[in-house]
Amino acid sequence: MLTAAKNQLRVCLLSMKYNMMREMVNKVTFLTNVCFMVLNNASILVQWIILFRLREDVGGYTFREILFLWGLTAASFGLSHILFARAFSLSDLIIRGKLDSYLVQPKNVLVSVLTSSTDISAIGDFLYGVALVCACRPGVGGFFLFLLFTVTGTAIFTAFALLLGSLSFWFVRMDILQGQMVMGAVSFATYPDGIFEGISRFLLYFIVPVGMAVWYPVHVIVSFHAGMFFAVLGYACALSVTAVAVFYRGLKRYASGNLMEARM
Amino acid sequence: MQAITVENLSKTFRVKRKEKGMRGSIKAILHPQTEEIRAVNGVSFSVDEGEMLAFIGPNGAGKSTTIKMLTGILYPDGGRVEVLGIDPMKKRKQLAYRIGTVFGQKEQLWTHLTPYDNFRFFGAIYDLSERETEERIAELSERFELNAFIDTPVRNLSLGQRIRCEIVASLIHKPKVLFLDEPTIGLDPVVKENVRELIKQMNREEHTTIFLTSHDVGDIEKLCRRIIIVNDGQIVLDDSVERLKSHYQDKMAADVYARSQESGMAEKYEEAPNISLEEILVDIYRSEEDG
Ligand SMILES: Nc1ncnc2c1ncn2[C@@H]1O[C@H](COP(=O)(O)OP(=O)(O)O)[C@@H](O)[C@H]1O
Ligand SMILES: [Mg+2]
Repeated sequence: MLTAAKNQLRVCLLSMKYNMMREMVNKVTFLTNVCFMVLNNASILVQWIILFRLREDVGGYTFREILFLWGLTAASFGLSHILFARAFSLSDLIIRGKLDSYLVQPKNVLVSVLTSSTDISAIGDFLYGVALVCACRPGVGGFFLFLLFTVTGTAIFTAFALLLGSLSFWFVRMDILQGQMVMGAVSFATYPDGIFEGISRFLLYFIVPVGMAVWYPVHVIVSFHAGMFFAVLGYACALSVTAVAVFYRGLKRYASGNLMEARM
Repeated sequence: MQAITVENLSKTFRVKRKEKGMRGSIKAILHPQTEEIRAVNGVSFSVDEGEMLAFIGPNGAGKSTTIKMLTGILYPDGGRVEVLGIDPMKKRKQLAYRIGTVFGQKEQLWTHLTPYDNFRFFGAIYDLSERETEERIAELSERFELNAFIDTPVRNLSLGQRIRCEIVASLIHKPKVLFLDEPTIGLDPVVKENVRELIKQMNREEHTTIFLTSHDVGDIEKLCRRIIIVNDGQIVLDDSVERLKSHYQDKMAADVYARSQESGMAEKYEEAPNISLEEILVDIYRSEEDG
Protein backbone atom coordinates (compact mmCIF):
# COMPACT_ATOMS: atom_id res chain seq x y z
CA MET A 1 0.00 0.00 0.00
CA LEU A 2 2.72 2.40 1.04
CA THR A 3 4.99 1.49 -1.88
CA ALA A 4 2.03 1.85 -4.23
CA ALA A 5 1.45 5.37 -2.93
CA LYS A 6 5.15 6.14 -3.23
CA ASN A 7 5.24 4.89 -6.81
CA GLN A 8 2.15 6.91 -7.68
CA LEU A 9 3.76 10.00 -6.20
CA ARG A 10 6.91 9.38 -8.23
CA VAL A 11 4.84 9.32 -11.42
CA CYS A 12 2.91 12.45 -10.42
CA LEU A 13 6.06 14.39 -9.69
CA LEU A 14 7.66 13.30 -12.93
CA SER A 15 4.51 14.17 -14.84
CA MET A 16 4.43 17.58 -13.21
CA LYS A 17 8.07 18.18 -14.03
CA TYR A 18 7.48 17.28 -17.67
CA ASN A 19 4.42 19.51 -17.80
CA MET A 20 6.42 22.41 -16.46
CA MET A 21 9.14 21.70 -19.00
CA ARG A 22 6.58 21.91 -21.77
CA GLU A 23 5.27 25.22 -20.51
CA MET A 24 8.69 26.62 -19.88
CA VAL A 25 10.21 25.87 -23.26
CA ASN A 26 9.99 29.59 -23.68
CA LYS A 27 11.04 31.21 -20.43
CA VAL A 28 10.07 34.70 -21.53
CA THR A 29 6.49 33.67 -22.33
CA PHE A 30 6.32 31.85 -19.03
CA LEU A 31 7.41 34.84 -16.96
CA THR A 32 5.18 37.20 -18.92
CA ASN A 33 2.24 34.90 -18.27
CA VAL A 34 2.82 34.77 -14.55
CA CYS A 35 3.38 38.52 -14.25
CA PHE A 36 0.40 39.29 -16.41
CA MET A 37 -1.81 37.20 -14.12
CA VAL A 38 -0.64 39.14 -11.09
CA LEU A 39 -1.22 42.48 -12.85
CA ASN A 40 -4.56 41.36 -14.14
CA ASN A 41 -5.69 40.45 -10.64
CA ALA A 42 -4.29 43.62 -9.15
CA SER A 43 -6.08 45.86 -11.61
CA ILE A 44 -9.49 44.71 -10.37
CA LEU A 45 -8.38 45.47 -6.85
CA VAL A 46 -8.19 49.11 -7.83
CA GLN A 47 -11.95 49.14 -8.37
CA TRP A 48 -12.46 47.99 -4.82
CA ILE A 49 -10.14 50.61 -3.43
CA ILE A 50 -12.22 53.27 -5.16
CA LEU A 51 -15.44 51.68 -3.92
CA PHE A 52 -14.23 51.70 -0.34
CA ARG A 53 -13.27 55.38 -0.65
CA LEU A 54 -16.97 55.97 -1.17
CA ARG A 55 -18.43 53.59 1.41
CA GLU A 56 -17.52 52.15 4.76
CA ASP A 57 -18.51 48.58 4.01
CA VAL A 58 -19.86 46.57 1.10
CA GLY A 59 -22.23 43.71 1.84
CA GLY A 60 -20.99 43.65 5.44
CA TYR A 61 -17.33 43.41 4.41
CA THR A 62 -14.56 45.78 5.32
CA PHE A 63 -11.74 46.37 2.90
CA ARG A 64 -9.51 44.02 4.84
CA GLU A 65 -12.05 41.24 4.54
CA ILE A 66 -12.33 41.85 0.83
CA LEU A 67 -8.60 41.34 0.62
CA PHE A 68 -8.93 38.03 2.47
CA LEU A 69 -11.72 37.06 0.08
CA TRP A 70 -9.54 37.83 -2.90
CA GLY A 71 -6.47 36.24 -1.42
CA LEU A 72 -8.23 33.00 -0.63
CA THR A 73 -10.00 32.81 -3.99
CA ALA A 74 -6.81 33.47 -5.93
CA ALA A 75 -4.76 31.03 -3.85
CA SER A 76 -7.34 28.21 -4.06
CA PHE A 77 -8.02 28.79 -7.73
CA GLY A 78 -4.28 29.00 -8.37
CA LEU A 79 -3.36 25.86 -6.49
CA SER A 80 -6.14 23.80 -8.08
CA HIS A 81 -4.95 24.92 -11.52
CA ILE A 82 -1.32 24.19 -10.73
CA LEU A 83 -1.93 20.69 -9.38
CA PHE A 84 -5.13 19.52 -11.04
CA ALA A 85 -5.57 21.67 -14.14
CA ARG A 86 -6.97 18.72 -16.06
CA ALA A 87 -10.06 18.60 -13.84
CA PHE A 88 -11.16 21.81 -15.49
CA SER A 89 -11.06 20.39 -19.00
CA LEU A 90 -12.16 16.88 -18.14
CA SER A 91 -15.31 17.07 -20.27
CA ASP A 92 -13.24 17.48 -23.35
CA LEU A 93 -11.09 14.43 -22.56
CA ILE A 94 -14.15 12.29 -21.98
CA ILE A 95 -16.07 13.41 -25.03
CA ARG A 96 -13.11 13.03 -27.34
CA GLY A 97 -12.18 9.65 -25.89
CA LYS A 98 -8.78 10.67 -24.60
CA LEU A 99 -8.75 8.63 -21.42
CA ASP A 100 -7.44 5.51 -23.20
CA SER A 101 -3.78 6.05 -22.44
CA TYR A 102 -4.47 6.51 -18.71
CA LEU A 103 -6.60 3.38 -18.63
CA VAL A 104 -3.80 1.15 -19.90
CA GLN A 105 -1.39 2.37 -17.22
CA PRO A 106 -1.09 0.46 -13.95
CA LYS A 107 -1.80 3.57 -11.94
CA ASN A 108 -4.85 5.21 -10.45
CA VAL A 109 -6.77 6.61 -13.44
CA LEU A 110 -8.21 9.60 -11.67
CA VAL A 111 -4.93 10.73 -10.12
CA SER A 112 -3.08 10.30 -13.42
CA VAL A 113 -5.72 12.24 -15.32
CA LEU A 114 -6.03 15.11 -12.84
CA THR A 115 -2.30 15.66 -12.62
CA SER A 116 -1.67 15.29 -16.33
CA SER A 117 -1.46 18.99 -17.03
CA THR A 118 -0.41 22.16 -15.27
CA ASP A 119 -1.60 25.69 -15.81
CA ILE A 120 1.56 27.69 -15.42
CA SER A 121 -0.04 31.12 -15.21
CA ALA A 122 -1.89 29.87 -12.11
CA ILE A 123 1.40 30.22 -10.26
CA GLY A 124 0.80 33.95 -10.65
CA ASP A 125 -2.67 33.63 -9.11
CA PHE A 126 -1.37 31.58 -6.23
CA LEU A 127 1.49 33.93 -5.38
CA TYR A 128 -0.79 36.93 -5.68
CA GLY A 129 -3.28 35.34 -3.25
CA VAL A 130 -0.61 34.56 -0.68
CA ALA A 131 0.85 38.06 -1.01
CA LEU A 132 -2.54 39.71 -0.51
CA VAL A 133 -3.24 37.76 2.65
CA CYS A 134 0.23 38.43 4.03
CA ALA A 135 -0.29 42.13 3.36
CA CYS A 136 -3.31 42.03 5.69
CA ARG A 137 -1.15 40.76 8.56
CA PRO A 138 -3.43 37.86 9.52
CA GLY A 139 -1.18 36.71 12.39
CA VAL A 140 0.23 33.22 12.74
CA GLY A 141 -3.12 31.57 13.55
CA GLY A 142 -4.86 33.43 10.76
CA PHE A 143 -2.15 32.47 8.31
CA PHE A 144 -2.45 28.79 9.17
CA LEU A 145 -6.20 28.99 8.80
CA PHE A 146 -5.63 30.62 5.43
CA LEU A 147 -3.35 27.77 4.36
CA LEU A 148 -5.84 25.16 5.53
CA PHE A 149 -8.68 26.89 3.71
CA THR A 150 -6.56 27.14 0.60
CA VAL A 151 -6.36 23.37 0.71
CA THR A 152 -10.10 22.91 1.28
CA GLY A 153 -10.83 25.56 -1.36
CA THR A 154 -8.58 23.72 -3.82
CA ALA A 155 -10.42 20.50 -2.99
CA ILE A 156 -13.81 22.16 -3.45
CA PHE A 157 -12.98 23.86 -6.76
CA THR A 158 -11.34 20.70 -8.13
CA ALA A 159 -14.13 18.40 -6.94
CA PHE A 160 -16.74 20.75 -8.36
CA ALA A 161 -15.03 20.72 -11.76
CA LEU A 162 -14.55 16.96 -11.56
CA LEU A 163 -18.20 16.42 -10.74
CA LEU A 164 -19.46 18.57 -13.61
CA GLY A 165 -16.87 17.13 -15.98
CA SER A 166 -17.82 13.57 -15.07
CA LEU A 167 -21.40 14.24 -16.12
CA SER A 168 -19.98 14.11 -19.67
CA PHE A 169 -20.03 10.35 -19.33
CA TRP A 170 -23.82 10.68 -19.47
CA PHE A 171 -24.47 13.90 -21.36
CA VAL A 172 -22.60 15.39 -24.24
CA ARG A 173 -22.17 19.12 -24.36
CA MET A 174 -21.31 19.18 -20.68
CA ASP A 175 -18.01 20.75 -21.66
CA ILE A 176 -19.61 24.15 -22.14
CA LEU A 177 -21.52 23.96 -18.87
CA GLN A 178 -18.42 22.82 -17.00
CA GLY A 179 -16.42 25.81 -18.16
CA GLN A 180 -19.23 28.29 -17.46
CA MET A 181 -20.07 27.00 -14.01
CA VAL A 182 -16.49 26.95 -12.81
CA MET A 183 -15.72 30.41 -14.13
CA GLY A 184 -19.01 31.61 -12.64
CA ALA A 185 -18.08 30.18 -9.28
CA VAL A 186 -14.77 31.95 -9.31
CA SER A 187 -16.20 35.33 -10.21
CA PHE A 188 -18.96 35.05 -7.59
CA ALA A 189 -16.29 34.19 -5.07
CA THR A 190 -14.75 37.61 -5.44
CA TYR A 191 -17.88 39.41 -4.19
CA PRO A 192 -19.04 39.63 -0.56
CA ASP A 193 -21.78 37.14 0.25
CA GLY A 194 -23.83 39.91 1.92
CA ILE A 195 -24.96 41.23 -1.43
CA PHE A 196 -26.69 37.95 -2.30
CA GLU A 197 -30.00 37.02 -0.72
CA GLY A 198 -32.61 34.27 -0.72
CA ILE A 199 -32.42 31.62 -3.38
CA SER A 200 -29.27 32.94 -5.03
CA ARG A 201 -27.53 32.88 -1.67
CA PHE A 202 -28.58 29.28 -1.15
CA LEU A 203 -27.39 28.35 -4.65
CA LEU A 204 -24.04 30.00 -4.10
CA TYR A 205 -23.49 28.20 -0.85
CA PHE A 206 -24.43 24.71 -1.93
CA ILE A 207 -24.74 24.32 -5.68
CA VAL A 208 -21.98 26.56 -6.95
CA PRO A 209 -19.86 25.98 -3.88
CA VAL A 210 -18.52 29.47 -3.40
CA GLY A 211 -19.88 29.87 0.12
CA MET A 212 -18.03 26.87 1.40
CA ALA A 213 -14.88 27.55 -0.57
CA VAL A 214 -14.34 31.19 0.43
CA TRP A 215 -17.15 32.99 2.28
CA TYR A 216 -17.32 30.78 5.37
CA PRO A 217 -13.52 30.53 5.53
CA VAL A 218 -13.17 34.32 5.45
CA HIS A 219 -15.65 34.61 8.32
CA VAL A 220 -13.67 32.03 10.24
CA ILE A 221 -10.35 33.77 9.60
CA VAL A 222 -11.75 37.12 10.71
CA SER A 223 -13.38 35.73 13.86
CA PHE A 224 -13.14 32.04 14.61
CA HIS A 225 -16.39 30.11 14.54
CA ALA A 226 -16.20 26.35 15.21
CA GLY A 227 -19.51 25.52 13.49
CA MET A 228 -18.48 27.17 10.23
CA PHE A 229 -14.99 25.70 10.49
CA PHE A 230 -16.26 22.14 10.61
CA ALA A 231 -18.96 22.83 8.05
CA VAL A 232 -16.23 23.78 5.56
CA LEU A 233 -14.13 20.70 6.30
CA GLY A 234 -17.17 18.44 6.12
CA TYR A 235 -18.38 19.98 2.89
CA ALA A 236 -14.94 19.71 1.24
CA CYS A 237 -14.74 16.00 2.13
CA ALA A 238 -18.32 15.23 1.12
CA LEU A 239 -18.02 17.01 -2.23
CA SER A 240 -14.71 15.28 -3.00
CA VAL A 241 -16.07 11.84 -2.18
CA THR A 242 -19.17 12.46 -4.28
CA ALA A 243 -17.15 13.72 -7.24
CA VAL A 244 -14.80 10.72 -7.15
CA ALA A 245 -17.73 8.31 -6.91
CA VAL A 246 -19.50 9.92 -9.85
CA PHE A 247 -16.31 9.81 -11.91
CA TYR A 248 -15.83 6.08 -11.32
CA ARG A 249 -19.48 5.40 -11.94
CA GLY A 250 -19.25 7.23 -15.23
CA LEU A 251 -16.02 5.53 -16.23
CA LYS A 252 -17.99 2.32 -16.75
CA ARG A 253 -19.87 4.15 -19.48
CA TYR A 254 -16.72 5.50 -21.07
CA ALA A 255 -17.00 4.96 -24.81
CA SER A 256 -13.45 5.78 -25.83
CA GLY A 257 -13.25 7.36 -29.25
CA ASN A 258 -12.85 6.28 -32.79
CA LEU A 259 -11.62 8.03 -35.84
CA MET A 260 -14.71 6.99 -37.75
CA GLU A 261 -16.63 9.35 -35.53
CA ALA A 262 -14.67 12.34 -36.73
CA ARG A 263 -15.51 11.57 -40.32
CA MET A 264 -19.25 11.20 -39.78
CA MET B 1 -1.49 -22.17 -21.16
CA GLN B 2 -3.90 -19.70 -22.66
CA ALA B 3 -2.96 -16.04 -22.76
CA ILE B 4 -6.36 -14.76 -23.80
CA THR B 5 -9.82 -16.30 -23.42
CA VAL B 6 -12.89 -14.53 -24.69
CA GLU B 7 -16.41 -15.88 -24.41
CA ASN B 8 -19.46 -14.39 -26.00
CA LEU B 9 -18.09 -10.88 -25.76
CA SER B 10 -20.43 -8.03 -26.74
CA LYS B 11 -20.40 -4.26 -26.83
CA THR B 12 -23.12 -1.94 -28.04
CA PHE B 13 -22.64 1.78 -28.54
CA ARG B 14 -25.56 4.13 -28.34
CA VAL B 15 -25.25 7.14 -30.56
CA LYS B 16 -27.67 10.04 -30.78
CA ARG B 17 -29.36 10.53 -34.08
CA LYS B 18 -30.20 13.91 -35.40
CA GLU B 19 -31.93 14.86 -38.60
CA LYS B 20 -30.60 17.72 -40.65
CA GLY B 21 -31.32 21.36 -39.97
CA MET B 22 -33.04 23.38 -37.27
CA ARG B 23 -36.07 21.15 -37.31
CA GLY B 24 -33.92 18.11 -36.69
CA SER B 25 -32.21 19.83 -33.78
CA ILE B 26 -35.47 20.68 -32.09
CA LYS B 27 -36.83 17.22 -32.72
CA ALA B 28 -33.68 15.75 -31.25
CA ILE B 29 -34.18 17.75 -28.06
CA LEU B 30 -37.86 16.86 -27.67
CA HIS B 31 -37.65 13.23 -28.75
CA PRO B 32 -34.04 12.14 -28.52
CA GLN B 33 -33.48 9.27 -30.90
CA THR B 34 -30.69 6.89 -30.14
CA GLU B 35 -29.34 4.32 -32.45
CA GLU B 36 -27.62 1.19 -31.29
CA ILE B 37 -24.45 0.04 -32.92
CA ARG B 38 -23.52 -3.52 -32.11
CA ALA B 39 -19.79 -3.06 -32.45
CA VAL B 40 -18.94 -6.49 -31.04
CA ASN B 41 -21.59 -9.15 -31.07
CA GLY B 42 -20.97 -12.44 -29.31
CA VAL B 43 -17.30 -13.04 -30.04
CA SER B 44 -15.51 -16.10 -28.62
CA PHE B 45 -11.93 -17.24 -29.15
CA SER B 46 -8.77 -18.02 -27.27
CA VAL B 47 -5.10 -17.36 -27.89
CA ASP B 48 -2.24 -19.51 -26.67
CA GLU B 49 0.72 -18.09 -24.84
CA GLY B 50 3.45 -17.12 -27.30
CA GLU B 51 1.08 -17.20 -30.27
CA MET B 52 0.97 -14.47 -32.91
CA LEU B 53 -2.59 -13.81 -33.97
CA ALA B 54 -3.88 -11.59 -36.77
CA PHE B 55 -7.28 -10.15 -35.90
CA ILE B 56 -8.55 -8.63 -39.09
CA GLY B 57 -11.64 -7.41 -40.87
CA PRO B 58 -13.00 -4.46 -42.84
CA ASN B 59 -13.21 -0.97 -41.32
CA GLY B 60 -15.81 -0.78 -38.57
CA ALA B 61 -15.80 -4.55 -38.03
CA GLY B 62 -15.17 -4.18 -34.30
CA LYS B 63 -11.44 -4.89 -34.05
CA SER B 64 -10.45 -1.84 -32.05
CA THR B 65 -13.47 -2.20 -29.79
CA THR B 66 -12.43 -5.77 -29.03
CA ILE B 67 -8.87 -4.72 -28.21
CA LYS B 68 -10.20 -1.97 -25.94
CA MET B 69 -12.22 -4.49 -24.00
CA LEU B 70 -9.25 -6.85 -23.71
CA THR B 71 -7.03 -4.09 -22.35
CA GLY B 72 -9.49 -2.65 -19.81
CA ILE B 73 -10.33 0.57 -21.66
CA LEU B 74 -13.97 -0.30 -22.34
CA TYR B 75 -16.48 -2.18 -20.20
CA PRO B 76 -18.12 -4.99 -22.14
CA ASP B 77 -21.92 -5.22 -22.13
CA GLY B 78 -21.82 -8.97 -21.96
CA GLY B 79 -19.55 -11.98 -22.05
CA ARG B 80 -16.35 -12.92 -20.31
CA VAL B 81 -12.74 -11.85 -20.86
CA GLU B 82 -9.59 -13.20 -19.31
CA VAL B 83 -6.13 -12.02 -20.24
CA LEU B 84 -3.32 -13.91 -18.48
CA GLY B 85 -5.98 -15.19 -16.13
CA ILE B 86 -7.02 -11.66 -15.16
CA ASP B 87 -10.39 -10.03 -15.74
CA PRO B 88 -9.55 -6.59 -17.22
CA MET B 89 -12.60 -5.01 -15.61
CA LYS B 90 -11.96 -6.24 -12.09
CA LYS B 91 -8.18 -5.99 -11.95
CA ARG B 92 -7.32 -3.35 -14.52
CA LYS B 93 -4.11 -2.17 -12.84
CA GLN B 94 -2.80 -5.65 -12.18
CA LEU B 95 -3.32 -6.52 -15.83
CA ALA B 96 -1.73 -3.28 -17.01
CA TYR B 97 1.60 -4.33 -15.49
CA ARG B 98 1.66 -7.36 -17.73
CA ILE B 99 0.42 -6.17 -21.11
CA GLY B 100 1.59 -3.63 -23.65
CA THR B 101 -0.50 -1.65 -26.13
CA VAL B 102 0.35 0.16 -29.34
CA PHE B 103 -2.34 2.12 -31.16
CA GLY B 104 -1.03 3.12 -34.57
CA GLN B 105 -3.47 6.00 -34.82
CA LYS B 106 -2.94 7.38 -31.34
CA GLU B 107 0.03 8.88 -29.64
CA GLN B 108 1.07 7.77 -26.21
CA LEU B 109 4.34 9.70 -26.10
CA TRP B 110 4.87 13.28 -24.94
CA THR B 111 5.88 15.10 -28.07
CA HIS B 112 7.96 17.84 -26.44
CA LEU B 113 10.19 15.29 -24.73
CA THR B 114 12.95 13.12 -26.12
CA PRO B 115 12.33 9.39 -26.48
CA TYR B 116 14.79 8.87 -23.64
CA ASP B 117 12.77 11.05 -21.21
CA ASN B 118 9.59 9.38 -22.38
CA PHE B 119 10.99 5.93 -21.67
CA ARG B 120 12.03 7.04 -18.20
CA PHE B 121 8.49 8.21 -17.59
CA PHE B 122 7.12 4.84 -18.68
CA GLY B 123 9.68 3.16 -16.46
CA ALA B 124 8.24 5.10 -13.51
CA ILE B 125 4.71 4.20 -14.52
CA TYR B 126 5.59 0.52 -14.35
CA ASP B 127 7.47 0.91 -11.05
CA LEU B 128 10.86 0.01 -12.50
CA SER B 129 13.85 1.26 -10.56
CA GLU B 130 16.19 3.78 -12.16
CA ARG B 131 18.68 1.05 -12.89
CA GLU B 132 16.18 -1.36 -14.37
CA THR B 133 14.83 1.44 -16.56
CA GLU B 134 18.29 2.44 -17.78
CA GLU B 135 19.19 -1.15 -18.59
CA ARG B 136 15.98 -1.75 -20.43
CA ILE B 137 16.30 1.48 -22.41
CA ALA B 138 19.87 0.59 -23.38
CA GLU B 139 18.83 -2.89 -24.44
CA LEU B 140 15.78 -1.83 -26.45
CA SER B 141 17.36 1.18 -28.11
CA GLU B 142 20.19 -1.07 -29.21
CA ARG B 143 17.81 -3.63 -30.61
CA PHE B 144 15.42 -1.12 -32.21
CA GLU B 145 18.29 1.08 -33.39
CA LEU B 146 17.08 4.24 -31.70
CA ASN B 147 20.46 5.53 -30.61
CA ALA B 148 20.72 8.04 -33.45
CA PHE B 149 17.65 9.98 -32.32
CA ILE B 150 17.05 8.99 -28.71
CA ASP B 151 17.82 12.57 -27.60
CA THR B 152 15.72 14.34 -30.24
CA PRO B 153 12.28 15.62 -29.16
CA VAL B 154 9.58 13.27 -30.41
CA ARG B 155 7.83 15.97 -32.41
CA ASN B 156 10.90 16.26 -34.62
CA LEU B 157 10.97 12.56 -35.48
CA SER B 158 9.68 10.93 -38.63
CA LEU B 159 6.57 8.76 -38.41
CA GLY B 160 8.65 5.61 -38.68
CA GLN B 161 11.01 6.66 -35.90
CA ARG B 162 8.05 7.64 -33.80
CA ILE B 163 6.23 4.34 -34.13
CA ARG B 164 9.42 2.52 -33.21
CA CYS B 165 9.58 4.63 -30.07
CA GLU B 166 5.91 3.92 -29.35
CA ILE B 167 6.61 0.20 -29.55
CA VAL B 168 9.67 0.47 -27.33
CA ALA B 169 7.67 2.49 -24.76
CA SER B 170 5.10 -0.29 -24.65
CA LEU B 171 7.82 -2.90 -24.13
CA ILE B 172 9.69 -1.23 -21.27
CA HIS B 173 8.08 -3.49 -18.67
CA LYS B 174 8.50 -6.76 -20.60
CA PRO B 175 4.80 -7.38 -21.20
CA LYS B 176 3.63 -10.96 -21.65
CA VAL B 177 1.00 -9.93 -24.19
CA LEU B 178 1.37 -7.15 -26.74
CA PHE B 179 -1.71 -5.63 -28.40
CA LEU B 180 -1.00 -3.82 -31.65
CA ASP B 181 -3.82 -1.95 -33.37
CA GLU B 182 -2.74 -1.14 -36.93
CA PRO B 183 0.89 -0.54 -35.96
CA THR B 184 2.15 -0.21 -39.52
CA ILE B 185 -0.43 2.29 -40.74
CA GLY B 186 1.14 5.02 -42.84
CA LEU B 187 4.66 3.60 -42.80
CA ASP B 188 6.87 3.13 -45.83
CA PRO B 189 7.72 -0.45 -46.89
CA VAL B 190 11.21 -0.43 -45.36
CA VAL B 191 10.02 0.76 -41.96
CA LYS B 192 7.12 -1.67 -42.11
CA GLU B 193 9.51 -4.51 -42.67
CA ASN B 194 11.66 -3.22 -39.82
CA VAL B 195 8.71 -3.07 -37.40
CA ARG B 196 7.62 -6.57 -38.36
CA GLU B 197 11.09 -7.90 -37.76
CA LEU B 198 11.09 -6.34 -34.30
CA ILE B 199 7.71 -7.75 -33.38
CA LYS B 200 8.85 -11.17 -34.52
CA GLN B 201 11.99 -10.84 -32.47
CA MET B 202 10.00 -9.92 -29.35
CA ASN B 203 7.91 -12.98 -29.83
CA ARG B 204 10.92 -15.23 -30.35
CA GLU B 205 13.14 -13.92 -27.62
CA GLU B 206 10.73 -12.94 -24.88
CA HIS B 207 7.95 -15.31 -25.84
CA THR B 208 5.53 -12.39 -26.03
CA THR B 209 2.02 -13.20 -27.18
CA ILE B 210 1.12 -10.92 -30.10
CA PHE B 211 -2.42 -9.76 -30.83
CA LEU B 212 -2.32 -7.78 -34.04
CA THR B 213 -4.86 -5.96 -36.15
CA SER B 214 -3.83 -4.69 -39.53
CA HIS B 215 -5.05 -4.04 -43.03
CA ASP B 216 -1.64 -4.87 -44.35
CA VAL B 217 -1.49 -8.36 -45.78
CA GLY B 218 2.29 -8.30 -45.42
CA ASP B 219 1.96 -7.94 -41.66
CA ILE B 220 -0.29 -10.94 -41.50
CA GLU B 221 1.71 -13.16 -43.81
CA LYS B 222 5.08 -12.35 -42.33
CA LEU B 223 4.03 -12.55 -38.70
CA CYS B 224 1.02 -14.67 -38.02
CA ARG B 225 0.25 -18.32 -38.31
CA ARG B 226 -3.34 -17.88 -37.27
CA ILE B 227 -5.94 -15.49 -38.52
CA ILE B 228 -9.35 -14.46 -37.17
CA ILE B 229 -11.59 -12.51 -39.50
CA VAL B 230 -14.39 -10.43 -38.02
CA ASN B 231 -17.19 -8.62 -39.74
CA ASP B 232 -20.08 -6.69 -38.24
CA GLY B 233 -18.91 -7.62 -34.77
CA GLN B 234 -18.88 -11.36 -35.42
CA ILE B 235 -16.19 -13.87 -36.20
CA VAL B 236 -16.54 -15.23 -39.70
CA LEU B 237 -13.35 -17.26 -39.81
CA ASP B 238 -10.81 -18.58 -37.33
CA ASP B 239 -8.13 -20.70 -38.95
CA SER B 240 -4.47 -20.91 -39.82
CA VAL B 241 -3.27 -18.74 -42.68
CA GLU B 242 -1.84 -21.87 -44.25
CA ARG B 243 -5.15 -23.70 -44.29
CA LEU B 244 -7.06 -20.66 -45.45
CA LYS B 245 -4.74 -20.43 -48.43
CA SER B 246 -4.75 -24.09 -49.34
CA HIS B 247 -8.50 -24.20 -48.92
CA TYR B 248 -8.86 -21.35 -51.37
CA GLN B 249 -6.30 -22.88 -53.66
CA ASP B 250 -8.31 -26.08 -53.75
CA LYS B 251 -11.51 -24.21 -54.36
CA MET B 252 -9.91 -22.29 -57.19
CA ALA B 253 -8.52 -25.46 -58.63
CA ALA B 254 -11.91 -27.09 -58.41
CA ASP B 255 -13.48 -24.10 -60.14
CA VAL B 256 -10.92 -24.18 -62.90
CA TYR B 257 -11.32 -27.91 -63.18
CA ALA B 258 -15.09 -27.60 -63.44
CA ARG B 259 -14.77 -24.92 -66.07
CA SER B 260 -12.18 -26.88 -68.02
CA GLN B 261 -14.44 -29.93 -67.89
CA GLU B 262 -17.23 -27.88 -69.40
CA SER B 263 -15.04 -26.62 -72.18
CA GLY B 264 -13.48 -30.02 -72.69
CA MET B 265 -9.90 -29.08 -71.86
CA ALA B 266 -9.43 -31.34 -68.85
CA GLU B 267 -5.64 -31.54 -69.13
CA LYS B 268 -5.23 -27.84 -68.23
CA TYR B 269 -6.97 -27.84 -64.87
CA GLU B 270 -3.80 -27.95 -62.76
CA GLU B 271 -2.87 -24.53 -64.04
CA ALA B 272 -5.05 -22.84 -61.45
CA PRO B 273 -3.52 -19.38 -60.79
CA ASN B 274 -1.64 -18.87 -57.53
CA ILE B 275 -4.01 -16.86 -55.42
CA SER B 276 -2.63 -14.30 -52.95
CA LEU B 277 -3.87 -13.71 -49.42
CA GLU B 278 -4.88 -10.21 -50.47
CA GLU B 279 -7.22 -11.60 -53.10
CA ILE B 280 -8.61 -14.14 -50.66
CA LEU B 281 -9.43 -11.41 -48.15
CA VAL B 282 -11.06 -9.23 -50.78
CA ASP B 283 -13.14 -12.22 -51.78
CA ILE B 284 -14.20 -12.93 -48.19
CA TYR B 285 -15.00 -9.28 -47.38
CA ARG B 286 -17.01 -8.98 -50.59
CA SER B 287 -19.04 -12.11 -49.97
CA GLU B 288 -19.77 -10.89 -46.44
CA GLU B 289 -21.05 -7.63 -47.85
CA ASP B 290 -23.44 -9.48 -50.11
CA GLY B 291 -24.58 -11.97 -47.51
N1 LIG C 1 -16.92 5.44 -29.19
C1 LIG C 1 -17.80 5.01 -30.10
N2 LIG C 1 -19.03 5.55 -30.16
C2 LIG C 1 -19.92 5.13 -31.06
N3 LIG C 1 -19.68 4.17 -31.98
C3 LIG C 1 -18.46 3.59 -31.99
C4 LIG C 1 -17.47 3.99 -31.04
N4 LIG C 1 -16.35 3.24 -31.28
C5 LIG C 1 -16.65 2.43 -32.31
N5 LIG C 1 -17.92 2.63 -32.75
C6 LIG C 1 -18.59 1.91 -33.85
O1 LIG C 1 -18.46 0.54 -33.61
C7 LIG C 1 -18.12 -0.14 -34.82
C8 LIG C 1 -16.80 -0.86 -34.66
O2 LIG C 1 -15.75 0.08 -34.57
P1 LIG C 1 -14.22 -0.31 -34.40
O3 LIG C 1 -14.10 -1.32 -33.32
O4 LIG C 1 -13.45 0.93 -34.25
O5 LIG C 1 -13.90 -1.00 -35.80
P2 LIG C 1 -12.51 -1.39 -36.47
O6 LIG C 1 -11.42 -1.13 -35.50
O7 LIG C 1 -12.67 -2.84 -36.80
O8 LIG C 1 -12.38 -0.57 -37.70
C9 LIG C 1 -18.14 0.90 -35.91
O9 LIG C 1 -19.42 0.87 -36.52
C10 LIG C 1 -17.93 2.19 -35.17
O10 LIG C 1 -18.54 3.25 -35.85
MG1 LIG D 1 -9.79 0.18 -35.64
